Amino acid sequence: MSDATTTEASWVSGSFRDYDSRVFSTAGQILRSLSPAALADYEALAASRFFSEAQESGAVVQTELLADFLPPPQCKPPAGFAAVLRHERIPFLSWPFEWPFSMLKDASLLMLELMENALDEGLILKDGTPYNVQWRGATPVFIDVGSFERLREGEPWFGYRQFCMQCLYPLMLQSYREVPYRPLLRGQLEGIAPEQMRNLLSLRDRFRRGVLTNVVLHARLERGHSQRSATEARQELKRAGFKPELIKANVGRLARLVRRLDWKPGRSEWSDYREISAYDEEELRDKEAFVESAIATTAPKLVWDLGANDGRFSRIAAREGAYVVAVDGDEVAVDRLYRELRVEGSERILPLALDLVDSSPGMGWRGSERQRLEERGRPDLVLALALVHHLAIGANVPLAAVVDWLADLGAALVIEFPAREDPMVVRLLSRKREDAHPDYGLENFDALLARRFTVARREQLGSRMLFEARPR
Amino acid sequence: MSRILIGYLDPGTGSVILQAILGGVAAAAVTAKLWWRRVTSIFRRGSRSDAQAEGPGSGPAQS
Repeated sequence: MSDATTTEASWVSGSFRDYDSRVFSTAGQILRSLSPAALADYEALAASRFFSEAQESGAVVQTELLADFLPPPQCKPPAGFAAVLRHERIPFLSWPFEWPFSMLKDASLLMLELMENALDEGLILKDGTPYNVQWRGATPVFIDVGSFERLREGEPWFGYRQFCMQCLYPLMLQSYREVPYRPLLRGQLEGIAPEQMRNLLSLRDRFRRGVLTNVVLHARLERGHSQRSATEARQELKRAGFKPELIKANVGRLARLVRRLDWKPGRSEWSDYREISAYDEEELRDKEAFVESAIATTAPKLVWDLGANDGRFSRIAAREGAYVVAVDGDEVAVDRLYRELRVEGSERILPLALDLVDSSPGMGWRGSERQRLEERGRPDLVLALALVHHLAIGANVPLAAVVDWLADLGAALVIEFPAREDPMVVRLLSRKREDAHPDYGLENFDALLARRFTVARREQLGSRMLFEARPR
Repeated sequence: MSRILIGYLDPGTGSVILQAILGGVAAAAVTAKLWWRRVTSIFRRGSRSDAQAEGPGSGPAQS
């Protein structure tokens, strides 16, 4: 009998709501404690055809039952302990408010498709949150195996409201109204309530596909029945002979609705960045060669490509075997990168829409349920290409603070510094007072970099200087 | 035992009722479809050929 009492083990901070099934980690492994009821649900799931297919295709996180594994006492579920599952480790966690439209859409569709297949075999998801989906690169993976349970006759889908609030409404808002959902989902983890959603829509919107039922009627019923308990309503439903076929019809309708939701943004400021960038083809090849050689000497496992734009350099890092978190503040560019990677079937590049000067804070219970980027895993190599001038001039972060932040990440660094005469810098400075950003200059940057890093290599490419550096 | 039966998420009373309504609409649609088939099948049986019966305006009255 193996046990983990001797090693350090702790609950994964985002997993505490479900008393029957909680995730903990020990010795780098991701494990799940099941209560007796949850084990019975898992056995039903493991016996189903759709689950083995989803394991095969990778749509559901790789999972195995550990016989005779005893979790340490602090990691036994509150509802009693029965068994432990081991899950595949997801390379890097991300949250729905960091996903561009197409990612939230695909994550939502994955949940609905799994639901449809599960229902055929007498199983159902007990919730409907996109936090149950994570990514292997640009491939969505459903991670909450504990979310599947046996279907009970006469019961509706408990997760429908949550699905509306965290998946359907955000997608509708961005698709129908061009209102970005990311600040809303970041502002309230629970998502957008039906009444709030209704108030965000115009009269015209009420007649758009799916709005009248899923939003307007939903909000009205919620208000009209706020005094009644859900248990009462469920019992009535059971008496009326509510059938699993009806859940399936609802889920099928939701899937058709989500599939048709589309977001066609205008051209964003930077999404055509490569076309207008300061490089000619030859310089671009030199830049690629510089990055390639830095990756070869560092052999990083995890790369952060900050300001990834079209993912050109993320792809190089992925080709060299790294897992890449490709961050950009421009949702249009990230959405486009995601769609390309999805078609390519990439499992090594995770695109995230994230503004580095207003990055994801620690959120939820005690601020640790959904961690900040830096708490989810540290990179071995950071690519900061075409980034510094946007932070220093565009967002007014002092150059010294930018360098300190990068040094605190503790990773090797490839950084590009465009001089004051660089066309992009000129463009950014033209919006400022003439004497603005006196600290922005190659000489100062060089000195700042040398204080926190050892510069291994530098190369001048046109009006830009590339550095490869290691933290001191 | 009731805790296990209820689950950890509050499904929301309004949301439960809405699912019943949507389900009811779906069920009614199926019933209506079946009923409609039964009605149209009477005419289909009465027509000379299937091709004719499916054409617009065709039916026993015109044959």
